[in-house]
Amino acid sequence: MSTETLTPEEAEGQRRARRAKRNTSIGWWVITIVVAVWCLFPVASILATSFKTPGELSNGKFLPDNPSTSNYEEILVGDSQELFLSALWNSIGISIIATLIAVVLATLCAYAIARLDFPGKKIVLTVSLMVSMFPVISLVTPLFNLWRSIGLYDTWPGLIIPYLSLTLPIAIWTLAAFFQQIPWELEQAAQVDGATPLQAFRKVIVPLAAPGVFTTAIIAFFIAWNDFVYGISLTSTEAARPVPAALAFFTGASQFESPTGAISAAAIIVTIPVVLLVMLFQKQIVAGLTSGAVKG
Amino acid sequence: MMASAALLLAGCGPAEDTPVLTWYTNPDDGGQAAIAQKCSDAAGGAYRIETSILPNDAASQREQLTRRLAAGDTSMDIMSLDPPFIPELAEPGFLAVPPSEVAEATTRDTLEGALAGATWRDTLVTVPFWANTQLLWYRKSVVEEAGLDMDGPVTWDQMIQVARDQDKELGVQGARAEAMTVWLNALIESGGGQIIENPEAPADEVEIGLDSDAGRKAAEIISTIGTEGLGGPGLATQQENEAMLLFQGDSGSFMVNWPFVWPATNASAEDGAVPADLPEDIGWSVYPRTSGDTEPAPPLGGINLGVGAASEQQDLAWDAVECIVSPENQTEYFVTNGNPPSSASAFDDPSVRERFPMAETIRESLELAAPRPQTPYYNEVSTAIQQRYTPPASVDPETTPAETGQFIQEVLRGESLL
Amino acid sequence: MSSIPTTVPAVDAEAPDDPSGGRGRRKAPRSERARAEARLGWWLAGPAFFIMVAVIFYPVLQAFWDSLFSYRLTAPEEREFVGLSNYGVIFSDPVFWSALGVTTLITVVTVFVELILGFMLAMVMHKAIKSTRGLVRTVILVPYGIITVVSAFAWYYMFSIDSGYINNWFSWVPGFDGQLNWFAQGGSALFVIMFSEIWKTTPFISLLLLAGLAQVPDDLSEAAAVDGASWWQRLWRVILPNMKAAIMVAVLFRALDAFRVFDSIFIMTNGAYGTEVLSLLAYRTSIGRLEIGLGSAISVVLFLLVGLLALIAVKGFNVDLAGGRGGRK
Repeated sequence: MSTETLTPEEAEGQRRARRAKRNTSIGWWVITIVVAVWCLFPVASILATSFKTPGELSNGKFLPDNPSTSNYEEILVGDSQELFLSALWNSIGISIIATLIAVVLATLCAYAIARLDFPGKKIVLTVSLMVSMFPVISLVTPLFNLWRSIGLYDTWPGLIIPYLSLTLPIAIWTLAAFFQQIPWELEQAAQVDGATPLQAFRKVIVPLAAPGVFTTAIIAFFIAWNDFVYGISLTSTEAARPVPAALAFFTGASQFESPTGAISAAAIIVTIPVVLLVMLFQKQIVAGLTSGAVKG
Repeated sequence: MMASAALLLAGCGPAEDTPVLTWYTNPDDGGQAAIAQKCSDAAGGAYRIETSILPNDAASQREQLTRRLAAGDTSMDIMSLDPPFIPELAEPGFLAVPPSEVAEATTRDTLEGALAGATWRDTLVTVPFWANTQLLWYRKSVVEEAGLDMDGPVTWDQMIQVARDQDKELGVQGARAEAMTVWLNALIESGGGQIIENPEAPADEVEIGLDSDAGRKAAEIISTIGTEGLGGPGLATQQENEAMLLFQGDSGSFMVNWPFVWPATNASAEDGAVPADLPEDIGWSVYPRTSGDTEPAPPLGGINLGVGAASEQQDLAWDAVECIVSPENQTEYFVTNGNPPSSASAFDDPSVRERFPMAETIRESLELAAPRPQTPYYNEVSTAIQQRYTPPASVDPETTPAETGQFIQEVLRGESLL
Repeated sequence: MSSIPTTVPAVDAEAPDDPSGGRGRRKAPRSERARAEARLGWWLAGPAFFIMVAVIFYPVLQAFWDSLFSYRLTAPEEREFVGLSNYGVIFSDPVFWSALGVTTLITVVTVFVELILGFMLAMVMHKAIKSTRGLVRTVILVPYGIITVVSAFAWYYMFSIDSGYINNWFSWVPGFDGQLNWFAQGGSALFVIMFSEIWKTTPFISLLLLAGLAQVPDDLSEAAAVDGASWWQRLWRVILPNMKAAIMVAVLFRALDAFRVFDSIFIMTNGAYGTEVLSLLAYRTSIGRLEIGLGSAISVVLFLLVGLLALIAVKGFNVDLAGGRGGRK
């Protein structure tokens, strides 16, 4: 459509519509920027702090005057290397194992809940809800006593097992919601079309279920990665201490000097995986967190 | 425990025949790890020391160690212990008593204050490794203007007066942390009193000495600094590091602090974070007195080495301890990590004087130093004091000492939460 | 925040009025096939169920048993049975009541603010134009995924009088001299603590509300608009009533989560100056003081309080937690 065929009124109307659209667009960008600043500001703040030297920490400014990577050197190749890298390794290993176990067990459990009729189904769901609401602090003392008597104190399994109590309920609820939305009739349809049950399951159901399982894994990983209470209570050496607990072990050049810089650098490093996962899988995570259909 | 031992062993590498001793160290600048390496090499295959790091603050270190010791953990071969917490571990028999020849060899020239912190019920239960003490640091320019003679006795009242007159701030530790008990104890001891009158008594018979003349005078000093804002705006959260920053600033006048401030201030001056000529304006002397006619009682800190009673390698552990605390190692540790020796002869090395011009004052201070109350309930006593004496502005010399004393007794009898 | 219940439980209408009627087997007599299905169900759901029960219920029973003793870890031989007297000490102590008060305050304030902010964020995510939608959703997930301890350190360093810059930034505000020690008194310390909690957990609540927004039929809102209802009227008359379930679930989950607040306070003040909460009190008593008996009693009280809250919420909101089989397709 070219302009010269329009009456002046029509042209004016179209210009106004275009301007209105542009204004909405500008408005949305403003809102987006406000939200982004709100969400990213503390991360930016600790990022800036991580590049300050000990002398600059009290300069009262957001940015360092002379950015220095000395804090990163301290934790990656310097004195705190052993402390931080072993904690990072523990955190990664323990969180991934706890996530995998939780997702496998929760997949079986959620499949049963979504597809089968069995007595006690309601109990399984209620119990997992109770578990997810449980105050973790109430568990640490008895677990500490039990763990040390059976040799699980300060070991990977000693953290993986309690992490399951954090990750399983969420995984079960999220997956049950996902599985209830899968059109299971397709499986029967495929079998009618001549596929074996296994083929039908693999070709039809697995592709439908996989995104849900994957999303659940990311959410479960976040939860295990976030743990602090179990980390400080059930470990005592580099053998199993995860990163959030290890941050309390950093020190400055002497025991009295604040380890602000080293903690900030370590904080940034453990935030990188979170930011990467969020950037790559934003759609899946939002879908997972909003999946449990809310009906009133 | 089995599993954790297996994990540890798995990480050990090829020298599987050498017995491995685990040394739980407080965080430092790598000095303890270096000494561990040195002693392992010197042992010629008799043992190898592996270090395992503890948390940053004293209370959390105690938490970790006590829980493992109570569990009868056999890996607790050597532990770096903060002296105030030793009675709590010694009383239930968690610590092995050093053989007499080790005790004799390691305490030959140990400074008085450090030795007092290593014993419990007249038995040596740990071996002093290094000793710490606070000095009075001052800005020469401020003192000059006030016309104070820093070679003579200095009292808290004098310092308060100078800060008032010149509109300056005092570097003290007013945070709700162990540093608060350190301060209060030094004030009371110098005034001739004691926080606990009968430290070896069972929990329900402990008598608290806060509500004495010395105790009320101590509370008055804390209260004055707090209410008049003489400790700076951050006093209520101010620990050692923050006090140093305050002292380095324009309003700095006096500060009580550990010797780490000297290398730290020099490093900042080199970095350009503080004026390059600041170190030249800094002087030091022995800790201030609570009143003019009493002796100073500087705070005592440091680290002692203990051996777990459940350790299966106690003989080797004591051999290693003897190596670790040798005067040469103490000297080197002072020079590299800034932690003063507990042995008098370790101060004589020229390298010490070069790096710490105030070494002689530190030695003098360690002879005068008074330990914090030695009781198995130290954690309760100290936490209660921290809760009631912070923020310093809320301290009332008339009521706080008496109320705190009563509160501590209630906590020890199990009638109050802490 | 120790464990984040991230998903919305399937809140279901009493009997799903599903036209297909499920598979119509709900009331069928128990046949051999039904028994086999039940067996299979438990084989599949059993392991997860067993682990959850073991990790939670054993410690709870143990904690209750321990709470009946006067028992200090460093004096094992002095352990003695004292019945319920540990509970007597707790309930007669102002320290407990003040910790309960602070915990309640944090819960009420953060949940309330998060609900409003979360709703605004949910609206933004729901309505955002295509070009900014991905970006908005990505940045909102950053606080959600970040470690609570890291968030606590970030806010702490920002406000700290020594390493912070907030005082400097706001020193132009009349009556504010830029020398405020934020963590030296309860009011300002709790403000920062709640601020950081709100920052960290609003995304979670906004995602739950987003799920609720998606359930509001667009045509209802449009119809109301055609009838001349203002935006405000539509919000209160159409949108919010249709989101009731989502809001209640969000409040329930976040309230129970906020009630267990621990990490941020542990990092920022460690309970000093009137910021003590129940979780921290339990931790300091049983782990710090090694008073296993007294500490277990506080843990049991905390657990019962959370249970009570949950019960009231579930009964009050009449939420059918288990949902039903086959209702959704």
